[in-house]
Amino acid sequence: MNTKDNHTIIEVRDLVTHYGETQILDHVSLAVPRGTVYVIIGGSGCGKTTLLKHMCGLLKPSSGQILYQGEDIVPMEEDDLAKMQRSIGIAFQTSGLLNSMTVGDNVALPLREYGNMDEPLIQAVVRMKLGLVGLADMAHLMPDELSGGMRKRAGLARAIALDPPLVYFDEPSAGLDPIMACGLDELILDLRRMLGITFVIVTHELDSIRKIADRILMLDRGTVIFDGTMEDVERTETERVRQFFERRPDEYIVQRTI
Amino acid sequence: MNEIRLTCPPRLDKESGSELFKRLRHEKVTEGQTLVLDFSETEFLDSLGGARLIEISDHLRRWGGQMRLENEHGDVAEFLKVITPALSVTSSIQPKEVEVLEKIGGTAITVGEEIWQFIDLCIDAIYWTVLGPLEGKGFRWGMLLDEMHEMGVRAIGIVCMMNFLLGLIIAMLSAKQVENYGVQILVADAMMIGFARELAAVMTAVVVAARTGAAIAAELATMKVQEEIDALRGMGLNVAQFLVAPKLLSMVLMLPCLWVLGLITSLSGGFVWGVFVLKFNFSVWYTETLNAAHFQDLLQGFLKTIAFAIAIALIGCHNGLRVTGGSRGVGLMTTRAVVMDIFVMICIDIVFATIFYYILG
Repeated sequence: MNTKDNHTIIEVRDLVTHYGETQILDHVSLAVPRGTVYVIIGGSGCGKTTLLKHMCGLLKPSSGQILYQGEDIVPMEEDDLAKMQRSIGIAFQTSGLLNSMTVGDNVALPLREYGNMDEPLIQAVVRMKLGLVGLADMAHLMPDELSGGMRKRAGLARAIALDPPLVYFDEPSAGLDPIMACGLDELILDLRRMLGITFVIVTHELDSIRKIADRILMLDRGTVIFDGTMEDVERTETERVRQFFERRPDEYIVQRTI
Repeated sequence: MNEIRLTCPPRLDKESGSELFKRLRHEKVTEGQTLVLDFSETEFLDSLGGARLIEISDHLRRWGGQMRLENEHGDVAEFLKVITPALSVTSSIQPKEVEVLEKIGGTAITVGEEIWQFIDLCIDAIYWTVLGPLEGKGFRWGMLLDEMHEMGVRAIGIVCMMNFLLGLIIAMLSAKQVENYGVQILVADAMMIGFARELAAVMTAVVVAARTGAAIAAELATMKVQEEIDALRGMGLNVAQFLVAPKLLSMVLMLPCLWVLGLITSLSGGFVWGVFVLKFNFSVWYTETLNAAHFQDLLQGFLKTIAFAIAIALIGCHNGLRVTGGSRGVGLMTTRAVVMDIFVMICIDIVFATIFYYILG
């Protein structure tokens, strides 16, 4: 495999990781093509969020490589890692907005720290990014004055503040009403098309996956059991994947509910 | 002329956008004028270019002008469509001017509300600690044991250490003061009186306020922020019964115990100085100390610790339950709880001093 492959923005090779004694990820490998929406799915507790945290350098694996634009981020020093993290936007499950500043200041934070811009331009960028997520007139509010869905969108606005080529989004539509969730899907597709952003998304929402996913990776108990497109999903023989997409419960849950 | 026409460059980004803005500023915009931006040549627009357009629209709005886009096409048109909402919003919302009287009134209302909330909490807490269990409405005894272990047993080390050192310091300083009069044996009396009436209780309560008062506030505040309090209420559980009562009772039981330990260790601090440095005979110092012990002093110290205990527990809970605004709120409320604890403690101290020396005489 060519490490300088220009079509791949981030690649994970043989990633193994533990929390204490427990193995969370077992030889996970994946490659995210540039400009796609790459969806990671799997049951609760299968290691999706852990994988995402490794892919942005927040956690160090036990072994394995993570190549961002061809460079391995695992052995990187703090400084290089920070530089790499600047070019990745991360939108967290619970938004990760800093409670002590307004929504506008939250979005402005990376711009002020790294952006090399004057204040009027920063304000304009903040308004544009908030406008992209439908919150243009909410810059002056504090995060706790927003609803859950708004916070999530504000988190996305902060993630794309520096126009990163790659954005990680943890559970974008969890806890949102269908209209809002659908709007967020549209937004992800718009941003990909217009700003050329690659998205890596962790989600459970089947409708959303069908709509936005270019490629799907499924994890089960720390291993990759499926990696392919939506068409591959329709044809797959893997029982666990079919079960996921057909929303069939596990046997033991059926017994309990009867 | 009511229109200004400007042609956008083929690539609209941070730099060319800035150029465009400069060109606009050369033209004097007047009230009611419209800026027409011609996008016919523009093939590329990035987000910083978009941000420049927002700056331009702000500038126009300030001078009473408007903006119209023309001939946009392809990707640029789509991008312009999604940034339209940002183009039509003013940049900052001015906070409303507040009059002085309005401010005073607002503060009075907030303070009044807070006092009312506190009284409400006190009534609830006392009911669920004293009357509730007596009426057979249940009390979380298991929780009480946990709290007593956490607040009492685990604080023994630090409380004893602080009191011992304070005893040592007070003995050291007062011995120096009376050195010239040759009455250093009276240091033993002074230690007994001072610590029984005042210092042991205050020192112990300050340590516990900083340790447990802060912990109570932080715990309840975090629970509030994470909607655990709402969850309890939603299950029909009473917060005062479930959370506040065990903490209050545990504090009222443990603080006097810690006070006793604190008093003993502080006196042994003085004892160490008296016997090993001032070279008094052990039994002389011991007898002198016991002679100075009066029931009224000890009673005063004891009653004070109970008042302190109630104050620390209730102020911690009160501030914890009042939190708003996430992680920052938790920090603010924890700080506030400790500051209030110590302030209220001094107030209680004054009340006790007045009662015992001026009223009871």
